[in-house]
Amino acid sequence: MKNKESILVVDDDLDFLGIIRKILENKGYKTSTVPSASEALSLLEKQFYNAVILDISLPDADGTELLPKILELHPYILAIMLTGHSSVKNAVESLNRGAFAYLEKPLNPENLLSVINRGMEKQLLVFENRQLMDELERHNRITNTLLSVSQAVAQTLDLQKIIDSALEKVAECIGVEASFVYLRDKDHFKLKGYHGLSTQTVKDMPEEVSNNTGIFSNLIEQSGPIIIEDLKKTNEPDLGFLNNVGYRSFAGVPLAILGENIGVLGIATDFNQIFSPNNVDLLTGIGREIAIAVRNAQLYEEASSVKALRELDAMRTAFLANVSHELRTPLAVIKGSANSLLQPDVIFDEQTRRDFLVSIDKDADTLTRLVDDLLMISRLEANALEVKKKPSKLIDVISAIKDRLDNLTVKHHMHIDIAEEIPTVNIDEGRIGEVLTNLVENAVKFSEDNTNIYIKAINKNKEVLISVADEGIGIPLELHQRIFERFFQGDGRKAGRRKGTGLGLAICQGIVEAHGGEIWVESTPGKGAKFSFNIPVN
Amino acid sequence: MDKKHILIVDDDPAILRLLSTNLKARGYEIFTAIDGAESLEAVQKDFIDLIILDLMMPKIDGVEVCRRVREWSDVPIIILSARGDENDKVKCLDLGADDYLTKPFGIAELMARIKTAFRHRGDPTVAPAQATFACDGLEINFAKRRVTVDGKEVTLTPTEFALLQHLAVNSDKVLTHNMLLQSVWGNEYSSEKEYLRVFVGRLRRKLEPDPKNPKYIQTIPGVGYHIATSTASVA
Repeated sequence: MKNKESILVVDDDLDFLGIIRKILENKGYKTSTVPSASEALSLLEKQFYNAVILDISLPDADGTELLPKILELHPYILAIMLTGHSSVKNAVESLNRGAFAYLEKPLNPENLLSVINRGMEKQLLVFENRQLMDELERHNRITNTLLSVSQAVAQTLDLQKIIDSALEKVAECIGVEASFVYLRDKDHFKLKGYHGLSTQTVKDMPEEVSNNTGIFSNLIEQSGPIIIEDLKKTNEPDLGFLNNVGYRSFAGVPLAILGENIGVLGIATDFNQIFSPNNVDLLTGIGREIAIAVRNAQLYEEASSVKALRELDAMRTAFLANVSHELRTPLAVIKGSANSLLQPDVIFDEQTRRDFLVSIDKDADTLTRLVDDLLMISRLEANALEVKKKPSKLIDVISAIKDRLDNLTVKHHMHIDIAEEIPTVNIDEGRIGEVLTNLVENAVKFSEDNTNIYIKAINKNKEVLISVADEGIGIPLELHQRIFERFFQGDGRKAGRRKGTGLGLAICQGIVEAHGGEIWVESTPGKGAKFSFNIPVN
Repeated sequence: MDKKHILIVDDDPAILRLLSTNLKARGYEIFTAIDGAESLEAVQKDFIDLIILDLMMPKIDGVEVCRRVREWSDVPIIILSARGDENDKVKCLDLGADDYLTKPFGIAELMARIKTAFRHRGDPTVAPAQATFACDGLEINFAKRRVTVDGKEVTLTPTEFALLQHLAVNSDKVLTHNMLLQSVWGNEYSSEKEYLRVFVGRLRRKLEPDPKNPKYIQTIPGVGYHIATSTASVA
């Protein structure tokens, strides 16, 4: 049979129905016949017919009134009105209401078939048009979605933000509640982001998934989407975390860029969803957008870390040059003094010989201190600084280093002001003493003789605040952070003073941080500097 | 003979003390400065025969001191630095320093270098046989230590003059790197090839119309240098 279209004929003349059924079935149309408007409507509510042939005068309704109801149910149905002489006016009215044609009784079968034929052709065109429109709309939607994903992920070079915003878009555009991304990392997939998953599910999610077996590696291998309609029927261990909490279906696509699959994007729903090809295409496209953004972010990260490494390397080279210089200076004094005593051409007097020995002794101390600083810095770098905390009084810490501070500030006026209500703090006395000594040493180094140096400690909301202030050259704002960097050297120390290793403040910072505190500087160039650190009171 | 005046510039008081003691004990008159600015003042104020100069100093560093002193004085400068980098060495010599010694150093070595610097300065132990030298516009009056190129006077530092004198006196002979280093500087300098390169460079910049295509001091690649006098006359 050629024709597969279905036709419903509505007429109260049963003989007529019988004849017309024969004619239509003869031509291959699937034909139904009913004698009343109510039966016609109940059939049409259940199924679609390509055409309806409708008598205008029916026992329970006027065909002209029935027509709008039918068209409301099936807008594209082909309606052909049948009419007697008397009701031509009604038939014309029906055309206005959307009927395709009207035929007068008695019917000419040839005429009927030709009208049906023309009508069906027109209907086919309408259907095709509609399909094209739908296709266009689908493409539009995919394009818009991809555009919005691509815009969202292009906002940042931060890998985490890219993945988070992409997953948010996936939820918004595809309308799934759960989604996640794993990225490939050497021989594993690592969980990099998720959206719409419960805390429990997140806990169950594997942080790492093998690269060699399982659904993720299948996704990568076949380089295309994988859809699981019913998670219960499969036994994917890597998706167990979804199954456990009742998710029913899963779709996953590889994150592909330039022929390389760098991870997977998965979505899940908690009902048996048949993922439409549209959505799978869309998901694949989103996967590509995420892959591009992720790769960009990775490249950016690599470039930044290369830059950071280069900076670190330059800093280390500068540090080594500096250390070498700092070691050579006291060594020059030691070697030169000893060498002087060994020269055969000059015999020095007793006092001069003693002076040489004093120089050797002093610079051996300088060398020792330098080596200690270097060791301390390497401990800090290795996070291996030992801090032996015990409940201590700050005043005892000061007493222990008082002689040394007096020596350091012999040409300055030192003022020590420790508030009486300062509670006992849990500290390593020796280390905190080192910090204070170091700060006072800096104050002396960067201020003129006969100026004031203030050491002050106060009690302030569950912490002890200790400061060392001078009236020296001060520190420009742009250096307030940098001076704590390892190996940083400040300019402007007084002439005749030895330059340090650039390690002192880095060491201070390391010690203070090991006590759970912070160290910072406040300074106006030309008006002195105030270094402060706090220690929490337990 | 009057005492020679030596200015020691170093920001480390211990080094200043060490050098002062040793140099005084060997008959030198000592002046000290603890930074670049002070040293420049001292050079202008006092009569200084030689400067021993540290590089890393606050305010004005040694490289800058060297450059500024060379703008108006040919006083010998010996750099005494804890920076042992070859680049620093070449840079300082290029700027006009006469010698470069790295800390830590031996007293005897420093004394020898000071003597070498003074030897270049003008009491030549061996007076040249001839009084003058002339070659294609370059004229040297050995006795007056005066050099002119096409009649225009050129100021040379003592070491530059010593090198030029040695090349001129031995013109048309090829002088190897070793021969030059030993004759002009001293035996202990035979490994300091960059001294020669830097000082020949300095001479060429002062004497040659086109230092890149020198007409007076010719390089014999891999061997040494010579002054060729096809048209020169020795009086």
